[in-house]
Amino acid sequence: MDLTYLPIEGKSRAYRTMVVILGIMVAVLVTSFLVYYLKGMQVWGISNAIPWGQLITLDIYFIGLSAGAIVVSGLSYVLGREEYKPIGRIAIFLGLLIFIGAMVSVLVDLGRLEKFWRLFMYGYLNNMTSMFAINTIWYGGYILLMLVYLWLAIENKTRLAMIIGTIDVLWAIGVHSFTGEIFGLVGAREILHSPIKPFEFIAAALTSGTALLIIVVVAAFKFSNRYIDKKVVLSLGRLLSMIIIVLFVMVFFDKLTHIYVPQRKGTVFLFTGPYWWLFWIFQIGMGIVTPLIILFHPKAGKSIKGVVVASISVAIGVLGERAAVIIPGTANVQQLYPGNIEGVWGAPGIFLITFWETALTLGIVGLVTLLFVLGLKYLPLLPAGAEGEESKPAEATASESEAGSRLHQ
Amino acid sequence: MARWGMVIDLDKCVGCQACTVACKEENNVPHGSPQEQIRRREPYWNRVIAVSEGEYPTQRVEFIPMPCMHCDDAPCVTVCPAKATYHREDGIVEQNFRRCIGCRYCMVACPYGVRSFNFKDQDEKEYLRPDLPPTRADREPWPFPQRIRGVVEKCTFCFHRIDQGLREGKKIGIDVVPACVEACPTKARVFGDLDDSKSEVSRLLAIRGGFRLREELGTHPKVYYLHS
Repeated sequence: MDLTYLPIEGKSRAYRTMVVILGIMVAVLVTSFLVYYLKGMQVWGISNAIPWGQLITLDIYFIGLSAGAIVVSGLSYVLGREEYKPIGRIAIFLGLLIFIGAMVSVLVDLGRLEKFWRLFMYGYLNNMTSMFAINTIWYGGYILLMLVYLWLAIENKTRLAMIIGTIDVLWAIGVHSFTGEIFGLVGAREILHSPIKPFEFIAAALTSGTALLIIVVVAAFKFSNRYIDKKVVLSLGRLLSMIIIVLFVMVFFDKLTHIYVPQRKGTVFLFTGPYWWLFWIFQIGMGIVTPLIILFHPKAGKSIKGVVVASISVAIGVLGERAAVIIPGTANVQQLYPGNIEGVWGAPGIFLITFWETALTLGIVGLVTLLFVLGLKYLPLLPAGAEGEESKPAEATASESEAGSRLHQ
Repeated sequence: MARWGMVIDLDKCVGCQACTVACKEENNVPHGSPQEQIRRREPYWNRVIAVSEGEYPTQRVEFIPMPCMHCDDAPCVTVCPAKATYHREDGIVEQNFRRCIGCRYCMVACPYGVRSFNFKDQDEKEYLRPDLPPTRADREPWPFPQRIRGVVEKCTFCFHRIDQGLREGKKIGIDVVPACVEACPTKARVFGDLDDSKSEVSRLLAIRGGFRLREELGTHPKVYYLHS
């Protein structure tokens, strides 16, 4: 199957409005960053009890989405499944942009942003036993691999794309395992500490990545009036349902292990404490139960609308799952001494949703979306329409190589 | 080389918080507003927690003073990506503000919750202390008469006192002790060399048998407690 890819025209009113709205969101990002930079992290909701907040939640969520998108792109470029080819390029592009968003959020979250270069002074100024320092290798390599992979995909160098794609898919799995290990290795926190964390993170990454890809692909094809085979979306939906089951098995056995041993206070806190809703409503309700019901429903599971609704539910549910790792994970009071710790030191941490932190988080989402929307206009990412539009292949190739060289610069 | 450690006698501690206040005085740690206190934004290098067991009238309350435990196998040192937290030769776990990038991973990894983040610039009226004791000659992370925003802070075992005392040939643990030890009205805290069999800390541990907090994690803290 030979596909021609064309950038969208981007002259419609809806497109322009969208760019303007996203531009405003980026302005909000800059403003809220300046406010935080001038006033310090007191404008955020984090505290000494819950040191990580919305931005780290967004960070690991984005890393997961990116890893998921890259793995799905491997269906066409690595495994050579022709039916997934129309969404191959867009999956790589999405993975790259979302990962850039993740890096922006983790950098902004540093108390002293201007010192981040210390992380890259391998063995000299950084400490290679730290998961953060190790992850700089994974993250840096990942961005480079994705850039090369996207370029090869756009240039239609299938064979090289297969090689680089294979490395990138494996690398993405590594990236997310080690991101999970940031939490899994913390022995002092019952909710975080788990040897299964990397696998749970990969499963969550694949679910949310596939879900987001379904949403974006359906939306992008719909708004650009291009044709996509219904079968592609439905088969992605089936893939999604399988990964959700894997994720459920991971979460189930992780929590079972933690609640079975006598030291179960942390898990009981997660289930019944002030943040129970993050776990039950988002992680289990929206991330696992609702999408499975929809996807296995004989009618809804076979319609594009049903699959998209299930994907939206998964995308929100997995965001809740990330928050359910970070916020209750640190809010849970550590058992320092037998008995009941009185006063503020014994109370679970309170996380406030503050304006500037939320604005910053939404701003980063806006930035990623803006780059994506602009990318659709300037890069040949979407296949050019249905059978009826096959009349202009020469033009398409010209604009394709032009855009490709633009990326190359 | 000495291995500095602390022994805290829970039988003598009355929970007066003199150590907490003395620590703040000595190290220029700001006092937060009541709102900051409730929201857990106020930095504490030393705190005293009250732990109760049972119900009135058969209730028992114990006060546990908690400085940094200066673990031999410290999780914060392992996870710090920027080498901002490290072991000194004498076993003190040091925090270098100039290196800290403010990622707060150490706060997540610390099993004792003794680390605080500096959320804001200090209020000049209250906390600017150019007269603070340590001189630049002492050690590189010091002095910090003006606090740095966006870094993680913690107890240092008042290493500036120890270094100064050693230079002047004084006996550490007798003539020179950390501020919290000096301020304790009931002499519940004792400071000294854990490797020196003749020191007061070794003697107390030998006759009373101490315990450490969360020993099951294997962090080997250098702060010991004596049963009340």
